[in-house]
Amino acid sequence: MFRRRAKPWCYCAPALILILIIIVFPIAYTGYISLTNMNLYHWQAYEVIGLDNYARALFKLDSGFMSALGTTLLWTVLNMVIQLVFGFLIALGLNAPKLKLRRLYKTLLMVPWAMPAYISILLWRVGMFNTELGLLNKWLTALGFEKIDFLASNGIAFVSCIALNLWMALPFMISTIDGALQSIDRSLYESAQLDGAGFWTQAWKITIPSIRPVVAPAAVMTTFITFKQFDIIYLLTQQRGYMTGATLNTVITYVHQNAFASNNYGLSSAVSMLLFVIIIIFSFLTNRSLREG
Amino acid sequence: MKKMIATLLSVLLIVSTLAACSTANDPGGDGTAPAGGTTASAETAGGETEDSRPAETTELTIWHDGDESLMQTIADTVNPMLADNGVSLTFEKRTGLSDQLKLYGGDAANGPDMYLWAHDSLGTFVAMEILAPLTDLVDESVWADDLPLTVEAGQIGGTQYLLPLYFETLLFLYNKDLWQGDIPSTTEELYAYMVANTDTSAGTYAVVNQHSTSYNVSPFINGFGGYILDAEGNPGLNDPRTIEAVEYNQKFAALEADGDYNTVTTLFNEGKAAAIIGGPWLVPGIRAAGIDLGVASLSDMTLPNGNPLAPFSGIQGIGVMKAAAETKGDAIALALEALASPEVGIALAEAGGCAPANSLSYEDPDVSSDEVIAAIKHTAETAQPMPNAAEMNVMWGPVDSMLAAVNRNGQDAATAAEEAQAAALQAIADMQ
Repeated sequence: MFRRRAKPWCYCAPALILILIIIVFPIAYTGYISLTNMNLYHWQAYEVIGLDNYARALFKLDSGFMSALGTTLLWTVLNMVIQLVFGFLIALGLNAPKLKLRRLYKTLLMVPWAMPAYISILLWRVGMFNTELGLLNKWLTALGFEKIDFLASNGIAFVSCIALNLWMALPFMISTIDGALQSIDRSLYESAQLDGAGFWTQAWKITIPSIRPVVAPAAVMTTFITFKQFDIIYLLTQQRGYMTGATLNTVITYVHQNAFASNNYGLSSAVSMLLFVIIIIFSFLTNRSLREG
Repeated sequence: MKKMIATLLSVLLIVSTLAACSTANDPGGDGTAPAGGTTASAETAGGETEDSRPAETTELTIWHDGDESLMQTIADTVNPMLADNGVSLTFEKRTGLSDQLKLYGGDAANGPDMYLWAHDSLGTFVAMEILAPLTDLVDESVWADDLPLTVEAGQIGGTQYLLPLYFETLLFLYNKDLWQGDIPSTTEELYAYMVANTDTSAGTYAVVNQHSTSYNVSPFINGFGGYILDAEGNPGLNDPRTIEAVEYNQKFAALEADGDYNTVTTLFNEGKAAAIIGGPWLVPGIRAAGIDLGVASLSDMTLPNGNPLAPFSGIQGIGVMKAAAETKGDAIALALEALASPEVGIALAEAGGCAPANSLSYEDPDVSSDEVIAAIKHTAETAQPMPNAAEMNVMWGPVDSMLAAVNRNGQDAATAAEEAQAAALQAIADMQ
C-alpha cells in the first residue's frame, strides 16, 4: 500500500524539488528578508525587525500608488480588449478560405514576437517615436506638420506605449486564436450557412464559443503579463539618462521607483510580498470567473 | 525492469537537481583562469624568464565594467612592474558591476580583490562596509602626485577609499567645418549663436546637449552655486540657485533637440549639429565619423553671474575589498603603488585618450600635447567631482525627472524642483 502511494511521489519528486528550489524558496526567502532590516547600512549584519517594513510598505500604497493602480487597470483592460478584438479579426482574416500566401503572412506576423523585448522597445523609442530620427516625425515634417514628442506627456506617452505593446503582444494572441480556429469543424459553418446564418451570426454562435476554451487561458495569461508589464513603460519613458518628462506609472514601475531604487531590500521585499498577495487575489478572482463563465 | 529504470531515473534526476544547486566557489572566475578576463601575464608582458620570479605568484582580480582594451593597457603596464614581486593583476569585466559588488563584494571566496569603477558609487560600497581604507595598506604618499580633484573624489569622511587612475569631464566639442567664428566666452553669446544658427524644423542645430540629464546640466547647476547633494548627503534640488540654473538651462534645451544620448550624438556625428556638450568618450565615434573636431573647455565660458561653467567630473579609480585586504594585503599594496605610477596614466592617455589622475603623467610630451586631455585638465580647474555619498545612488532619478519635466514637458521649474526634492528626501529616507 505504502509503495503504491509512494511511487507517484517518487516520480514527481524531481519536478517538485525543482519547483521548490526555483519558485517556492525565492518567495519564502523574500518573505524572510521582508522581516529584516537588510539595507545598505545593514548589508551583512541585518536582523529581524518584525513587521516594520510592512507598515512602511503600506504607507507606500498612497495616492501615488492608487493612481498607478488606476493606470495599470486601464492599461490592462485597454490592451486586452484591443488584443482580443484585433487578434480575433486578424486571425479570421488569415483563415479566409481564398487567402493566398497565408503562411507568409503568418510568418511575418510572428516577427515582433520573436524579437527580444528590449531590442523592440529601443527600436521603437529611436526608430519610431524620436523627434529627430523617428519615422513618425519624419512623416509629420514631410507633410508640413510640427514635430511631436510622442513620449513627453502622459496622455500621448500612454497611447505610444499601448501601440508598442500591441505590436509586441498581438502575434501571440493571433497565433493562439488562429490555432483555435483551425480546430473548428467546418461542417458547423456549412450547416449554419444552409440555415441562413450570416458572417456575424456564425462568428457569435459558432466561432467564439468554439475557440473560447483555448483562448480563455491564453487571455488570462496575457492579462497577468500585461498587468505586471514593466519594460515598455520603463524603457520608453523612465530609463536613467532617457527620461522623457512623462510621469506615467504602473504599479510595478511605481514600486520600482519608490522602493527598489533605494537598495533597501527589507522594504522592497515587503512591497513585493504585498504585490504578490494582490496578484494572488487577482488570480483567484480571474480563475473563479473563468470557471463560472 | 521498467519500474526499476523509472525509479533509478527519478533518483538520478533528484541527485542531479540538488547537485546543480550546490555552492560553487567560482561564480565566473576565481582569478586564476578567468573566462573572458583581461590577463597579461608578467612573463609575456615583461619578457622575463620564469626563473627570475618568486615560486608562487599572487593573482589579484580586479572587476570592472569599462573598456576592455583600457584594462588590457593597465594590465600590460603594471604587471611587468609587479613580476619580480610575484604579483599579477587580472581584470575581469562584470556587466552591472554595482550589483555584482553588492552580491560578491563581501565574499572572500567569490568576490574580487579590487574593483575599478567611477567614484560616485563609492559611498554606497563604504556604507556596505565592503571596502578597506587605502591607508590600511599603503602610505598617503602613493597618491601625493595626483590632482587634488581626483584625490578628493576618492574620499568618504576624510578617509581615502579610491585610488584615482584617470578622470573625465564634459567638454565643448565642435565641428570645425560647421562652427562659424570663435567659441563664445559667455553663455549669453552662446545662446545668441544658437538662436541664429538653429532650425529645429529642419533638424539642424548649433549646439546639442543631453539637456535633461543631471551630469550634462551640472555645468549650469554648479556654476549658479546650486547643488544636487551636499557633503552631508542633503539634496538641494529646491535650492533657489539650483532652480535658477534649471530655469536658465531651459532656454538652451529648447534649441538642443530632445536631449536623448542617441539623438544628440547622431546629430553631431552626421553633421547636423555644429557642436555638442559631451565627454571624451564621444571622441572616438566623432573621429570615426570623419569630423574635423575642435575642443574647448567649458571653464572658459562664463554665466551671467560671472562664474565659469563648472561641470561634474567622474573619477575612475581602484577600490580594495575589505576581505582581500585582510588576506592579500602585501600584494595589494604593491599593486596599488604600481597602479599609482605616472606610467599607468601615460599608457591610458596614449591608448584611450584618458586624462591621467597623476599630475606627473602630464610631463610626458605626448600627453601634454593631446588637445582633448589638455581641455579636460584645464576644465578640472572649475569642475567638481560628482557627489560620492551613498545618498547619490538615489538622486539621479529625481534630478533627471525634474529636468525632463521642465525641458520636455514644460513644467514650471520651481514646482518641478519641489516635487523632485520631496521625491529625493523620500528616496533617501527609504534607504534607511
